[in-house]
Amino acid sequence: MNAILTIARRELSSMFRLPVGWVVIALFLLLTASVFALTLTPGAPASLRDFFGISAWLLMPVAPAISMRLLAEEHRTGSDEPLLTAPVSDIGIILGKYLGAWLFMACMLAPTLIYPTLLFIVSDPKPDPGPILAGYCSLILQGSLYLAIGTAVSSMTSSQTLAYLATLFPILGLLLLGTVSPEALPDWGRAVINAVSISARAGDFARGIIDTAHIVFFSAGTALFLMLAHTGLASRRWR
Amino acid sequence: MILVREIQKSFGRVDAVRGMSFTIEPGEVVALLGPNGAGKSTTIRMITSYLSPDEGSVRIDGYDTQTDSLEVRQRIGYLPESAPLYPEMRVIDFLDYRARLFHLPRGARAKAIGQVMDRCRIAAVARRRIGHLSKGYRQRVGLASALLHNPPVLILDEPSNGLDPSQIRETRSLVHELAENRTMIICSHILPEVERLATRLIVIAGGRKLADGTLGDLLAQHTAPQLVVEVQGDLQAFQASLGDVCGVRAIMQKPTKDPGWTILTIDTLPSAPDPRPEIACRAASASIALRELREVKPSLERVFMDLIESPETIATSTPHHAEATH
Repeated sequence: MNAILTIARRELSSMFRLPVGWVVIALFLLLTASVFALTLTPGAPASLRDFFGISAWLLMPVAPAISMRLLAEEHRTGSDEPLLTAPVSDIGIILGKYLGAWLFMACMLAPTLIYPTLLFIVSDPKPDPGPILAGYCSLILQGSLYLAIGTAVSSMTSSQTLAYLATLFPILGLLLLGTVSPEALPDWGRAVINAVSISARAGDFARGIIDTAHIVFFSAGTALFLMLAHTGLASRRWR
Repeated sequence: MILVREIQKSFGRVDAVRGMSFTIEPGEVVALLGPNGAGKSTTIRMITSYLSPDEGSVRIDGYDTQTDSLEVRQRIGYLPESAPLYPEMRVIDFLDYRARLFHLPRGARAKAIGQVMDRCRIAAVARRRIGHLSKGYRQRVGLASALLHNPPVLILDEPSNGLDPSQIRETRSLVHELAENRTMIICSHILPEVERLATRLIVIAGGRKLADGTLGDLLAQHTAPQLVVEVQGDLQAFQASLGDVCGVRAIMQKPTKDPGWTILTIDTLPSAPDPRPEIACRAASASIALRELREVKPSLERVFMDLIESPETIATSTPHHAEATH
């Protein structure tokens, strides 16, 4: 456990030491601030429903930018050699790297709490806290899944660019699945799309519904991709 | 003790290591010597458990690198080639990070970091970012990080690679100090370096072990002294007369700056009687003027070149084997 925290701490501080970390945070905050300002309607009840809906899409390009260097960069520079010969298990390395990236994402999302705070201060009647809580739940769960996909991809390549693109497109695919017209598909196709569609689940969260099935879906997906990341890392010893 | 048994490793169709075996006793300083692509780094990476052998096994102090990998890693200090570090980290933060990875308790961490910084003479750069350090300092930081947990086995892959002469000298003296009380494997193709440091040499080429022993053993087993003879006169007849002298293996001829004088380099056969008296007699009887006849002691470089250029080595090192690196 200590080794996981050690790796996570190094990963997190490394992201703040590099320009890319600050650029990612600045870009995300700039875009979410624009979304917040543009989705508020004077006279309408205070709600962050649109804000959360669009922010979930904003995570799509941001999460791969966080995860792309986790293992790919280590492999490219050779710094994975001291790491993989330290007395830490492969799963410990993966969890440490992932936790570091996850904490960075949390640091990136934390300043957006100012938007609901503002709404609570200035709007009358006050916004319903349920959908806001569910919205943050949704962002964190989606971000966790995206980072796990990125960690898995990063464990299989030494190119950050490749890691970014190979993470971005599956996420895009998962998000777009929800927009496919189900009527054009056979029953089994509709069932598959409903099962893996992120958009539909994010829609539920936006309405303030925290469904256990959705939490299980994102958690299981995250665990699955972290297992893939472990396999990717372990396979480096055989390649 | 390090036990390497019949390890093999291929990358695709490239056989990087083919059936390597050796044993290293505690306290030995062993150099793995070989040309680029010989399989040295791959062998070391299998010993450190960074890579898994396709076949064979490696055991360190009785622990198998496959089944007891974490135990093995706790016993090894490893400096990979080019000391890959995190350039954005400060030296002290990096050492603290490594100390935590090696499970050093809180109280022992600061003490261990202080000791290795003193030992590797990097205290002056403790607060500097690794990316801003010279290559020599980065190498020392890498070495310091490998020593933090005071490992009984130290493995250094090309510790002088890319350093300038003064940095090479500093690194060499540091490694010499470190070799005093631990088992050490040094991987290098810089012969004078290993000649000074190692108590035993293992020569590798084409993924195979070609020779294994002390410097004295290798010199005795794999090469014989050369003779340098400077002569003037009818060389054709003289060279022909040397053909049947016992102990003479081959003769090479090269001109000197003095007109009429020629240098003959004579390869002798190991464990044959000294042929110098007979050569002097033959020169006298052929009316050859003899200005110099001296023995050149065999060197590690010559042993090394003889081994890696021997017909057997070339025959077993097909082109794709010779390129094997990872």
